[in-house]
Amino acid sequence: MSKKHDHDHGHDHKAAPMVEEISDFEALEIAVRELAIEKGLFTAEDHRRFTEFAEQIGPTPAARMVAKAWLDPKFKQLLFTDVIEASKHVGVDYLKPTGFGTPSDYTDVRVLEDTPTLKHVVVCTLCSCYPRPILGFQPEWYRTPNYRRRLVRWPRQVLAEFGLSLPPEVEIRVEDSNQKCRFIVMPVRPKGTEGWTEDQLTAIVTRDCLIGVALPKPGVTTNVKLQVMHPPGQAH
Amino acid sequence: MSHGDRDHHAKIATGKGDPQCFKGTADGPPKFKVGQRVRIKNLPDIFYTRCQVYTRGAVGEVAVITHESPAPEDEAWGHVDKSEWFYIVRFKQKDLWPEYPAAFANDTLQTEFSERWLEPA
Repeated sequence: MSKKHDHDHGHDHKAAPMVEEISDFEALEIAVRELAIEKGLFTAEDHRRFTEFAEQIGPTPAARMVAKAWLDPKFKQLLFTDVIEASKHVGVDYLKPTGFGTPSDYTDVRVLEDTPTLKHVVVCTLCSCYPRPILGFQPEWYRTPNYRRRLVRWPRQVLAEFGLSLPPEVEIRVEDSNQKCRFIVMPVRPKGTEGWTEDQLTAIVTRDCLIGVALPKPGVTTNVKLQVMHPPGQAH
Repeated sequence: MSHGDRDHHAKIATGKGDPQCFKGTADGPPKFKVGQRVRIKNLPDIFYTRCQVYTRGAVGEVAVITHESPAPEDEAWGHVDKSEWFYIVRFKQKDLWPEYPAAFANDTLQTEFSERWLEPA
């Protein structure tokens, strides 16, 4: 699509692309998707609806299930026996949208309960298995070989890089989720949350707490306005 | 092989989920018990495996018996006619890594294996 100009320009009229390169995987995905649509394996609308479903998942369901379990022993009992059933209480149907669960997520989810002397942290060394229907998509760092290879062997060093240091008496238990089971961590309910509502508790159970690389703290939510510390002497 | 039927998994798992769709399909009850000491076998794994090399030969304790499912080494190729019991096995980190600091002797790691990978220790 080029326009003919009758005056001289010192520049080219082609619009600069927003992205210089497309990755091999992006090209592959487009090619496979278009071929599948052409062959009638699914329709473009099927694909759009699945994409829209995938883009609305997030960590709030898992956070709310932990908050509910902290407040209600009966819900905690349900959470520890049947996470799929418990998920319905926070609006997640684990079988959706296919009717049998989403690819690579499966439908066997377990809760790892921390105690004052036991800290769990989850990784998938083989790929990046993650309980997406209740936790959303994996953070990019969770997918990197850096995390996957190092957490199993040097957990204390890796957790320190996340700002989490624990005394030697605390057992750090790494869960390498290499099969169909998926895991969330139920941290110890922190001090300073006495009398809190379910909403207040849900807000401090962040995604990183549910993976196990962070501990929940009053005042620390995903919406926190963080005072960034500047070196002394710098005007702010 | 279930090559011909693209809808095979949807047919067996709709309304149930996976691994729920394989419940009751293993040959018998679990061979190993919770608390039992087991060793990870170093089976040949030419094409595909989900048994991590860092666990081979290690001795741990069965922590949880999880579910029945075809082993991934078979499922990856569409062989889903046989199922096995799966187990979460817990290891002491000092038994997995030679340089793991003695200061952190309580640290553990647990991961999951299909039955074929385990033997009594």
